[in-house]
Amino acid sequence: MWANLNQKKLYGLVLSMSALLVVIALGGGFFNQPGLWFDHWQHKAFNGLCHQDPQRSFWINGSPMAVCSRCFGIYSALFSGWLAFPLIPNLLQSLNGYKRWLLTVVLCINIIDVIGNFLGLWQNTLFSRFALGTLVGVSAVFVIGYEFIGINQINLKGIQYGTDKSK
Amino acid sequence: MEQTNQNNATIPSYWASVGIAAVIFSLLTSVLQLISGYMQINAEPTGSLFSPNMLFSVVVCLVGAFGGMVAVWHYANEYQITMKLGKGALIGFLTGAAMVLIGIVLNKLWLLVDPDMQQKMMESTIENFEAMDMPEETKQQMIDQAASQANPSIVTQLLYGIPIFGILNLLTGMLGVSLFARNKEE
Repeated sequence: MWANLNQKKLYGLVLSMSALLVVIALGGGFFNQPGLWFDHWQHKAFNGLCHQDPQRSFWINGSPMAVCSRCFGIYSALFSGWLAFPLIPNLLQSLNGYKRWLLTVVLCINIIDVIGNFLGLWQNTLFSRFALGTLVGVSAVFVIGYEFIGINQINLKGIQYGTDKSK
Repeated sequence: MEQTNQNNATIPSYWASVGIAAVIFSLLTSVLQLISGYMQINAEPTGSLFSPNMLFSVVVCLVGAFGGMVAVWHYANEYQITMKLGKGALIGFLTGAAMVLIGIVLNKLWLLVDPDMQQKMMESTIENFEAMDMPEETKQQMIDQAASQANPSIVTQLLYGIPIFGILNLLTGMLGVSLFARNKEE
């Protein structure tokens, strides 16, 4: 069952932007761009946002992606989750009460994974980092997605921009 | 209706929240990048593209994306208001764009404190490339390309930075609305 999305323009904007993020994150190798990977514009675009360690990134056609596997997990899950959430409005509604916890727990798991790996307690892999990244992307979709499927209900409650919280 | 009109007439400006979040996150990312940079300068060349010291930069990963969320949180908390997702997205995008601008200014200011930093970074990178186990021709190509992109222009930094930081902070701005700018009884 498709949810009746009220903010279709914003939904479309986020969908196209998340798709753009994924395409850029794939890096120059996906498009068989000439030159060395660290000179590709995709790498420059994500410089400062991701460590872009080639040993911690997936490789395509002899070039690492423009972001690490964890970041790619976040972006790809965000895009696919955004595409899919109108199909599962009931799940989003049932998770609504736990959305803060969900996001907090997932972020904590990622932080623990980074620290544990940094301290040498365990060795994470490309795919484990990708999997943990996808959890962040999916939980972000659960948090924001509810606002799109539940917007009628929210408006009926009279919650609008500029309304005083205390009322 | 009258109540809504009254509220709409006194909508507070979000620019202060955008500015505060942008300054905080620009400072945070700039400081983390400086620490990472000096760690690289002072490290022995390992011949690896990713030295153990640079593991620190893993922490920097994605920190810059949370400016939008903090700006929305500050705006909602400061004025005790709720807002639509679109407004949060706008605040997030503006925060991301402002972060890029402030970050460029901070980098330029740091060059007044340590004018040789970029040169030292480049030397460290070249030493690292030279220690790599690869054909001389490839090594030289990597050094040339690294040298050519050592000082990206301000326009280039804006061109690459604003869309990416803008989009990511737009998303976290919406996340901020959902988490912090809704009525508690929902």
